[in-house]
Amino acid sequence: MSELFRAFSFVDKIHDDETGKRISGEYHVPETVEEFPLSLVAESVGQLAAWSSIAAVDFRFRPVAGIAGEVEFCGEVRPGATLQLEASISKADAESVNYDGVARVDGNAVVRLKDCLGPMIPIEEFDDPSSLRERYGLLTGFGAKPDAFEGVPEFSWDKTGGDPGQTAEATFRVPESAPFFEDHFPRKPVFPGTLLMNLNLRFALDLASESSGGAGAWKPLRMTDVKLRSFLEPGDRLDLAARVEESGEDTAKIVVEARKGKRLVGSARVLLSRKD
Amino acid sequence: MSKQDISKDEIMAIYPKVAAIIADALGCDEDEVKPDSSLIDDLDAESIDFLDIVFRLEREFKVKIPRGKAIEEARGELSEEEFEQGGVVTPAGEAKLRAYLEEVPEDRINSPVRSAEIPKLFTTETFCKMVIREQKSAA
Repeated sequence: MSELFRAFSFVDKIHDDETGKRISGEYHVPETVEEFPLSLVAESVGQLAAWSSIAAVDFRFRPVAGIAGEVEFCGEVRPGATLQLEASISKADAESVNYDGVARVDGNAVVRLKDCLGPMIPIEEFDDPSSLRERYGLLTGFGAKPDAFEGVPEFSWDKTGGDPGQTAEATFRVPESAPFFEDHFPRKPVFPGTLLMNLNLRFALDLASESSGGAGAWKPLRMTDVKLRSFLEPGDRLDLAARVEESGEDTAKIVVEARKGKRLVGSARVLLSRKD
Repeated sequence: MSKQDISKDEIMAIYPKVAAIIADALGCDEDEVKPDSSLIDDLDAESIDFLDIVFRLEREFKVKIPRGKAIEEARGELSEEEFEQGGVVTPAGEAKLRAYLEEVPEDRINSPVRSAEIPKLFTTETFCKMVIREQKSAA
């Protein structure tokens, strides 16, 4: 079975698209997945904004993950939940899409995105434009059949060093193959930036748990200055580094960087708070 | 006063903020950012970093910096064909470019200049001037 629009697609229906300005839609998280990380909720908002920006440039370009000024985590999403998605777009042209967005469950915000920027890339390098047009027609019409997503594996890293509770170093290898590569993207498989975001978040939580409280003592509040500087391809080896930038009684700010060789490919600041 | 009516004082008034934004965007120390640092050659900036920096400058200084505006302004009264042919800046275009990017050390501009490589010439001061020009045109 083709994984296109199944393995890494998180918009089921577009309710209203004021193309290139404002868009709303929804995504139903399948009951069958074990979990739906908040990074995938952020992906869902980003994909909604992407649809509007792709339509705004008449399917000649598509955005890819770039920058999120701030990703705020305000709640949890359980399998079976329906995400109500909105994005407000301040710019969508051949160069980039800039947007803010939010995902809600039962009216309550679970993830908010602020000051996001996705560089636009010629669409034909990544996708078949006609299949995207067809999909956009489906999403703005009857909507797609939900429950296609079957989950993504939880990736882990191999720790290589660090000063416990202060810094951590590790390596991570992007898988050579995975179903999501067929959907992200059909003509150029790229490791999704939000999966790297999830990895970075868990890496920061791991470092914080070393400093105090042990595993499960911390929860993410927000990530800022999230940036993906280049495409991550199947099989790429990344060096991860995390360091505590600030720490207090109940919060910790951790900087996480991913490098491919010497080149910085991804970075973020993660603000954590101690669980009640 | 420079040919673009931007004084050193005006540049230095916003320089600390611009340098801080560039350092933040590139994840480097502020003291690595110098007025004449080439963002690409000296600070390892990528194309996404340019988008990031311009986006941050727009938010910080409440201006809109239209993409491609620097090239358009450098071109002046020259037509696109007079400025660039086949992806290479013409001699007349290069003279315009050198005048426009007067903050860029002469020896960094190697003839012939490929259009796609013009952003490689941009320095911290170039970004200061972009902001000042937009502040002035909005005033």
